Amino acid sequence: MSTPTDITSNVLLLEQTNQLKGLYSIIRNKNTHRSDFVFYSDRIIRLLVERGLDQLPVKQADITTPLDVTYSGVEFLGKICGVSIVRAGESMEQGLRDCCRSVRIGKILIQRDEETALPKLFYEKLPEDIEDRYVFLLDPMLATGGSAILATEVLISRGVKPERIFFLNLLAAPEGIKAYHDKFPEIKIITGGIDPKLDEKKRIDPGLGDFGDRYYCI
Amino acid sequence: MQHQFRSPFPKSSLVSELSSASTSSSSLISNSDVETTLIAANKTNATVPIAQHEQGQDQDPLHNIQQNRPRRRSSRIGPKNGSYYSASSSAPSLSATSLHLDSHAASHAANSEAVIERYTPPWTEPYIIGIAGPSGSGKTSIASKIIQEINTPWTVLLSLDNYYKPLLPEQRKLALTGDWNFDTPDAVDLELCYQTVLDLKEGRKGHVPVYSFTEHARTQDIITVYGANVIVIEGIHALHDEKLRSLMNLKVYVDTELDICLARRLSRDILSRGRDLAGALNQWGRFVKPDAERFVKPTMRSADLIVPRGSENVVAISLLIKHIKKQLIKKSERHLDMLDKLTDAVNGGMSVKLDPKNHPDQLVVLPESNQSKGIYTILLNKHSSRDDFIFYFDRIATTLVNKALESHEFKPVTIETPLNVQFRTVEPQDTPIAVSIIRSGDCFMHSLRKTLPEIAVGKLLIQSDSLTGEPQLHTESLPLSISAKNTKVLLLDAQIISGAAVIMAIQVLLDHGVREEDISVICYLANEIGLRRVLMAFKKVKIVVGVIGFRENINPDSGENAEVWFRSRFIDARYFGTS
Repeated sequence: MSTPTDITSNVLLLEQTNQLKGLYSIIRNKNTHRSDFVFYSDRIIRLLVERGLDQLPVKQADITTPLDVTYSGVEFLGKICGVSIVRAGESMEQGLRDCCRSVRIGKILIQRDEETALPKLFYEKLPEDIEDRYVFLLDPMLATGGSAILATEVLISRGVKPERIFFLNLLAAPEGIKAYHDKFPEIKIITGGIDPKLDEKKRIDPGLGDFGDRYYCI
Repeated sequence: MQHQFRSPFPKSSLVSELSSASTSSSSLISNSDVETTLIAANKTNATVPIAQHEQGQDQDPLHNIQQNRPRRRSSRIGPKNGSYYSASSSAPSLSATSLHLDSHAASHAANSEAVIERYTPPWTEPYIIGIAGPSGSGKTSIASKIIQEINTPWTVLLSLDNYYKPLLPEQRKLALTGDWNFDTPDAVDLELCYQTVLDLKEGRKGHVPVYSFTEHARTQDIITVYGANVIVIEGIHALHDEKLRSLMNLKVYVDTELDICLARRLSRDILSRGRDLAGALNQWGRFVKPDAERFVKPTMRSADLIVPRGSENVVAISLLIKHIKKQLIKKSERHLDMLDKLTDAVNGGMSVKLDPKNHPDQLVVLPESNQSKGIYTILLNKHSSRDDFIFYFDRIATTLVNKALESHEFKPVTIETPLNVQFRTVEPQDTPIAVSIIRSGDCFMHSLRKTLPEIAVGKLLIQSDSLTGEPQLHTESLPLSISAKNTKVLLLDAQIISGAAVIMAIQVLLDHGVREEDISVICYLANEIGLRRVLMAFKKVKIVVGVIGFRENINPDSGENAEVWFRSRFIDARYFGTS
């Protein structure tokens, strides 16, 4: 998994431990049964969400311990929300909920326009106060970056500050990272793996197939 | 036989214990169709009675006495230095504890010359008592009286009745007509008994055969005993074999008039065992009495102590018990002392702060992050709701479990992705098992199952004596796969305080054949003192820790620490809602 140095700024790649590689070896394998695919994807998503949450600021807070002693700790700050790109992005919602129980989740539906072959926004439903929130943009695969760029434009048009957006995905291609950061250099991409390239059909190579299809029984 | 049990115990409480006898005790033995692991006090109380009698019913009172006995008595030694950080999982109330930093520092200064680097579990130095005497002399009564009075977990009663040699068919015919001699030392497999005791003494499982008096053969059952603090060997020839004697710390001979023995034996044989008078007398005259004179009585010379008049001799028995208790207190003090002295001398002892960098192969500390600090704050806050407490503990626990899995072994593998591309990567080498230290380790169960849904889980119950702080193992139930080669074990405990419980748990795993390097302890909060001891005692065990509590964080003025968990197990109490 060679990573060109010029694309790694503002990319938070999960530490490539053997344990993480082991998880990926299961979801990359084309013979993996769906139940395992879902289970091990969820485990990776959980790691991505934890990494994303770690980017959020905290403020100092004094609390009282059971010994009635004051302890100077920290408290989580700022409201967050998730925004998933339908359909594959929805697979990451549960992982987010596992860490933030009552998190609000917005949805954006983007599909390829059959006439222009370009991604087109079909539907968006976002929390009213999204401009005050930190946003976790959820889409498992960053290939060309087309839909992620469009979704991010929607968020920014709704008043979300770019530095408050974190784009979480399981697998990214260098082309996608470059395209995305050309548009939004200040947005952090949090990913679990970066593959060498896109193939001639713009699929991540070696990749893990169509995430949405493999996760959602089609 | 039942009246014989009552007579030596005049205490009224005992009678009520007898009458409220539960039936669970008899199932203890009879359930062992397959190999059963019996641990003293796996019924929360203390003793494993292992004895098989002809009909079982004369044994019941003994079982029941042991089952229903209160676990602790007031006759315990007082607290000594170092015992304030009791690792009691019965969770002392947080406010009731008080820390005396000075006395602690002093105790460590005093101990600093004598540093111990290895842990010796109490069960490899069991206190072994042999009780011999003629049939009907009251050995069983005295043994049960001792067990009841010393009230120590992991007390094992080995009856030589279990070790009768199986009979050949023609011998069995003789036995059925009362013509076979059961009273010579040759009838008993003393070598096997020696092996059982030796196994226990060397930290292995001991196997006790079960003898059927109706078949005059060993049954299919084997009772497995592991780990004994005190072993009482009881039988007419208990002092016969020199090798067996050499293992004993105390040898007792019960010397009762043979007339009285006969009277007791007759009433037991006729009333409880359905024999007729003539048969019983015949056996007495032909075998029991002559062999008592010939083989049993001479072993009196090897005894340290002779109890005349058997179980009626209340004064002698109480002196005997006092002596045993004194020896057990010394043993317990040695154990605590050793735990105290397990100090990290290599890195400057307690005077130098523990630096995880000095233990790169052993210690993994979760990197500090905004989230981990925030979760820590929520868990320490007494105003956090239980809902939040459980949720955030589960979150950090999942992170810890993942962290622990990182250090496991992986092997290369080539897979094919849906694009039909070959991809070389790694996959886990083996399936680990988990062992939870009840109850604090159980807090990890949810996150463990979310991470490794099919993992086999074993349990250990280790509790500290409420007065001395000495850790005591009460129950072990471990997955069968633990004995497979190179099994990786995740040992779960939410908190390390004195380290005593974890040290003992690791020793149990080692006794079951697990290698040190295959054990990963997963712990959220670890006190520096306890952590040092574990690192010292086991130099290859990995420990994954969320937060280390350093002694320097203790406020020297108040002697209190803002971080409550230095001396108290509070995670399990809050997680399970018992505080």
